[in-house]
Amino acid sequence: MLNYLIRRVVFGFGTLLVITFAVYALIRHMPGTPLTLDLAEMSLDQQISSSEMKRLERQYHLDRPWYVGYWLWAGKLFHGDLGRSIKEKKPVSRVIGERVPRTLLLSGTSLILSYLLSLPLGLYSTARSGRLDERVVSTFLYMLYAVPTFVAGLLLLVFFYKDLAGTPFQLEPGMFSRNYSQLSTLGQVLDVAKHMILPVVCFTYGSLAYYSRFIKSNMEEVVRQDYIRTAKAKGVGPVRVLLHHAFRNTLIPYVTMIGLTLPALIGGSVVLEYIFNWPGMGTLYLQALSQRDYPVIMGLTLMFSALTLLGQLLADVLYAVVDPRISYQ
Amino acid sequence: MPESPPHHEATSPVPVTQSPGFWAEVWSRFRKQKLAMTALVFVGLLAILGIFSPAIVGTKPIICHYKGGLYFPAMGYFRESWENPVFITDGVIYNYPQKLKEKDPQSWAVWPLIYQDPLRRVRAGEMDGSAGNPIGMAGQPSRHNLFGTNDLGEDVFAKMVHGTRIALLIGFVSTGIAAVIGIAIGAIAGFFGGWIDWLLSRIIEVMMCIPTLVLILALISIIEKPTIWHLMVVIGAFGWTGIARLTRAEFLKLRQLEYVAAARALGFRWSRLMFRHILPNALAPVIVPITFGIAAAILLETTLGFLGIGAPDKTSWGRLLNEGKENLQMWWLIVFPGVAIFLTVLAYNLIGEGIQQATDPTLKASKH
Repeated sequence: MLNYLIRRVVFGFGTLLVITFAVYALIRHMPGTPLTLDLAEMSLDQQISSSEMKRLERQYHLDRPWYVGYWLWAGKLFHGDLGRSIKEKKPVSRVIGERVPRTLLLSGTSLILSYLLSLPLGLYSTARSGRLDERVVSTFLYMLYAVPTFVAGLLLLVFFYKDLAGTPFQLEPGMFSRNYSQLSTLGQVLDVAKHMILPVVCFTYGSLAYYSRFIKSNMEEVVRQDYIRTAKAKGVGPVRVLLHHAFRNTLIPYVTMIGLTLPALIGGSVVLEYIFNWPGMGTLYLQALSQRDYPVIMGLTLMFSALTLLGQLLADVLYAVVDPRISYQ
Repeated sequence: MPESPPHHEATSPVPVTQSPGFWAEVWSRFRKQKLAMTALVFVGLLAILGIFSPAIVGTKPIICHYKGGLYFPAMGYFRESWENPVFITDGVIYNYPQKLKEKDPQSWAVWPLIYQDPLRRVRAGEMDGSAGNPIGMAGQPSRHNLFGTNDLGEDVFAKMVHGTRIALLIGFVSTGIAAVIGIAIGAIAGFFGGWIDWLLSRIIEVMMCIPTLVLILALISIIEKPTIWHLMVVIGAFGWTGIARLTRAEFLKLRQLEYVAAARALGFRWSRLMFRHILPNALAPVIVPITFGIAAAILLETTLGFLGIGAPDKTSWGRLLNEGKENLQMWWLIVFPGVAIFLTVLAYNLIGEGIQQATDPTLKASKH
């Protein structure tokens, strides 16, 4: 196992190197640089002189070819330095660090919610399999799964932001109200919580539908097994058969799925944060891409890829932990 | 003397009924699923809607007789260059009904069912003294504009009908590209194994980790004049990893079977083994993720359109939603394209599920 882990980690670092190299090459070939894009926004009297431009270019290594730029970036990274954001004039690690908790607030809440809700839903639909109420619930969940998040998000905004405008039930996009700084601590918490409702709903419904279907399809396979029939024949009650005998065996795929949600947990959702103007990782990503803020894009890419790799590794390791039949040599 | 039993001719053929092939059986099982069939019919209808979109909604005549020649200006919706340049030089293209009569009183034309344009606002008096399209909040769905109009007064219904072309093309072309690349790479990795498999698996891993958005955004912005076709190629060129992994797994499994060993012993070349012997048997499990891939590609294109990146096409469903985000009061910019995307994605998911059910060998056994 240790051998396997070491091999995976070593390969993982190689993969990361290739990914960051490819992404760096790509973004440096996008037209425009952070400086020229900045220039376009400035008014004429603010225009920087060409000598000043040269100095800035040298400062950010934009005058060097892209592969040299990558080399410099990777060298800094080796010393634990992600560089400085060109736009925000702050270290990239701090720029990202500010955003992570905000995104976690959404994705973490939604992950907990969808796990908590999908368990009873999945078990319920297994227990009532084939009945009318189960068909209705399952069909609804299936259709929900096909609703794109941005459509759902926009519809929710139309209703809660526009149609309910003026009533106490109105929900706004964004993370804070305009008078946030004047509120008491409790008021601030409640304010953020209120702003979280719509994004969390959007974040949750898709995975809820997916997870509960996942549980149901796994359960249906287990319920057909002989040992379930034996348990029933022994006179074990239906609830105990379902929870104690059947459900425990479906945990294996469920647990491994936790690992695969890791990148989405911290990476957030670009689309959802864009719809609800949520100042998290997703919006940072879009912003950095459109402003050509190379160090930020690279920092985000590195983090996202590392999390994806880590999540896959975690899934594989968890797989071996919960299923003793699997071992990695 | 007892009559001898009727003599059978030795050469008479014994009636042999050929058992249906794998795909015939899959089709017959697929056909029995009502939902999946409904979804298939829905996609078929969408395809018809897409192909005939210029004849359904448009401001260009389907056929017209102009200055002694027959023309098909509506073809210009498919490709600008398919509209005869005569109409551009004569300045007809932005007001066919009036200008045609003006320039050539003898001319006649067959018009689309609904006179609206996906790319521009219809102005007052173009067709039989009709009113111009309302703009912005006034553009609610009405008799003239079935799904309302957008901020510029362009007809939403026309945009959506013409947008079906993009949605379907994106689905088929990009998933087709992804399928070809994925099956080829997966087949090579699984068939040859060894260091080839190792290398290709690492490449797949790298591809899966690169954030899709960076890739697409970077590639699209590098292209000087990106079109919807570029987007299809980009989506396809990076959406093959799942298919490749599945194909690889199938090949790894199949190449150890006895019939493959037998074929190998007969001395067939590797290409014959790969394409004739293994590939047909590996296709069934791969076709399900391909169907889901079509839904995913459509979703990705609309997402990009919604974010305002990538698709430069004015008729993309995602673009309408993008306009809807800026004008939340104009609910018709959100509801109609939203429902269209939802139904299309749902249809492909149902078809995929139907194929999954139809190709599942365990379900076949349980039928008896």
